[in-house]
Amino acid sequence: MSQYKSLFLSESREYLKTISDQVVALEQAPAERSAVDALFRGAHSLKGMAASMEYGDVVVVAHSMEDLMARVRDGALCFEAGVADLLLEGVDLIDVMLADVEADRECTRPPDDFAERLRGYTPALPKKQAPAGEPPAEHPAPQAAQPGGEPEKAKEPAGEASGTVRVKTELLDHLINLTGELVTNKHRLLNVAQEVASPALNDAVSETGKLLRALHDEVMKVRLMPFEAICDRFQRSVRSLAKKSGKEINFELSGREIGMDRGMLEQLVDPLNHILRNAVDHGMEESAERAAQGKPPRGTVKLSVSRDRDRISIQVSDDGRGMEPQKMIEAAVAKGVITPEEGALLSPRQALMLSCIPGFSTAKVVTDISGRGVGMDAVNAAIQKLGGTLVIESEPGQGSTFTLRLPMTIAIIHALVVQCGNVKGAVPVTGVLRTVELARHQIETMGKRQMFQLDGEAIPLLSLNRILGLPLGRFPNGILPLFVTEAKGRRVGIVVDRFLGQHELFVKPFGRPLCKMAGLAGGATLGDGEIVTILDLAGLL
Amino acid sequence: MIPERLILFTLGGEEFACSLQQIGEVMEPLQSYPFAGAPAHYLGLINFHGNLTALVDLALYLGLKSRPIPGKLLVLDPRLAHLALKVDGVSAIIASDLVTGEEPGEDPLTEAYLETPSGRVRLLQLEALIDELENGLKQAPARI
Repeated sequence: MSQYKSLFLSESREYLKTISDQVVALEQAPAERSAVDALFRGAHSLKGMAASMEYGDVVVVAHSMEDLMARVRDGALCFEAGVADLLLEGVDLIDVMLADVEADRECTRPPDDFAERLRGYTPALPKKQAPAGEPPAEHPAPQAAQPGGEPEKAKEPAGEASGTVRVKTELLDHLINLTGELVTNKHRLLNVAQEVASPALNDAVSETGKLLRALHDEVMKVRLMPFEAICDRFQRSVRSLAKKSGKEINFELSGREIGMDRGMLEQLVDPLNHILRNAVDHGMEESAERAAQGKPPRGTVKLSVSRDRDRISIQVSDDGRGMEPQKMIEAAVAKGVITPEEGALLSPRQALMLSCIPGFSTAKVVTDISGRGVGMDAVNAAIQKLGGTLVIESEPGQGSTFTLRLPMTIAIIHALVVQCGNVKGAVPVTGVLRTVELARHQIETMGKRQMFQLDGEAIPLLSLNRILGLPLGRFPNGILPLFVTEAKGRRVGIVVDRFLGQHELFVKPFGRPLCKMAGLAGGATLGDGEIVTILDLAGLL
Repeated sequence: MIPERLILFTLGGEEFACSLQQIGEVMEPLQSYPFAGAPAHYLGLINFHGNLTALVDLALYLGLKSRPIPGKLLVLDPRLAHLALKVDGVSAIIASDLVTGEEPGEDPLTEAYLETPSGRVRLLQLEALIDELENGLKQAPARI
């Protein structure tokens, strides 16, 4: 069995398990919004994966489950037993389909009228109105949901080739945690060594530091998977979309062998799929139009992955119609996303980044191709969350290139630690274009905004204290420390109280309840034991 | 249903209880660090066995009088949440068979009022508390 199918099957089964768990949880607490969202996402992700593998029957079932959950999410339908029965029936149906896929046989249980039943579903009358003793019947409870039933045991994977072992990803996560804790403790020891001024201790800590770096690198290597593990989906997705839109497209892939962290690979599937679909759907002209422009009738979309030391670069390029910066500005102004004055200040590169502003995309049609509101803003946010950056380049008539630059791993990052009021926060250096110490007289007021000039460009100033709801800094020496970052397609200066230096941080995700807080990407412990939060600039700005 | 074992604690002069099974550890207060954008009832973050854990002043959250005493920290089982609750003090651990009376609670956070050897206590529904705290963070207004 190909590794792509194996990955699809294992991930699909994980999603099915999540859906089942959430259905059961929702039956007990129907108002639990997070479970509704999780169910919706589960069905949506399952559909996306199946679509990219061209398993049409699974797509049909997952799409209808997603639609049903969309009605629940939007308040058009209450989550009650009938909905739960249908969802669990869908889970069972997909489970059988997956077994067929695994066994390489024809579908033994086609969806029949399942999608129609979900589409036309209306809640049954309340139970008390049904005659006593009569079961609600219409949708029989699926086997898997019956209490006391012995769940079928998962088949054990076939034996591994000698010299390799299969390791659970949780164990690898735990190993990363431990190495991260050790890195944090190394910094604590370094602080102590400085205080006691012991050369012997310094040497020992320094040597431990080198060993830890080697250990960390090795542990991270274990988690690396070749990009190939996900790229087959893109191939199928591009081919299928080209077919549907009647376009002739060559899809070229390079850098399949480049290794990336497994967790990061998983989180790149949706953003890359979106960029590729945009390239085929919007970027590429039809053959006749291309021929009229003297281009080969068959267009080319390239996905290339390369590695530069500890960074990964992923490029999606096409030789289609490209984007015109001025048209992007006009569209953004027309949609009220920016003012005409703001538009006039944008460089061509910044204008192209307007596509990443929430609200810029106005696509309303929901199909199994276009997805549901996952626009370039979500793509950009996902990349930033991974500690990466997105750059868009385009030449009208020649094509566009989307470049993602990402760290190889996401567990340990370099961050600029800043002080705002009584709070310390860390900003990943990937989000910092540069730091500036600004004298008050360099600040200009334009309308209601405060700006400063940088490389001939007027950069708006924002206060991180104000963004975080903290008292504003005073700056008695007249110097304002700020870092320059990019928001809404253009550079902004974020003023802080103080810079506390660059640190190597082991990022820990937050559990409940802080995982729900926008603007925080996790936390980390500094060498002296102090805890800082990692600021998610995309979420805050 | 009353949990098998209960931990009783005080808060703003009132007696409370919660399921002992949902508590990972009772700790003396330790250094906490404020974090960006946190509502007032969050005292900061603590490091609980490597987990970054939010510390909430439970009295302040419930609208009771928050007392400036060191108090105790009830750290929830990390499988449930990364959350610690600052309370005034912990008074006892009792088995459910010592509960002599039960009245239903009148709000989502109060599972019941129980008659115990320590008097009438309010049984807190910790799952509901975590949900409420999460919703509070999700609904926090945009800050810009």
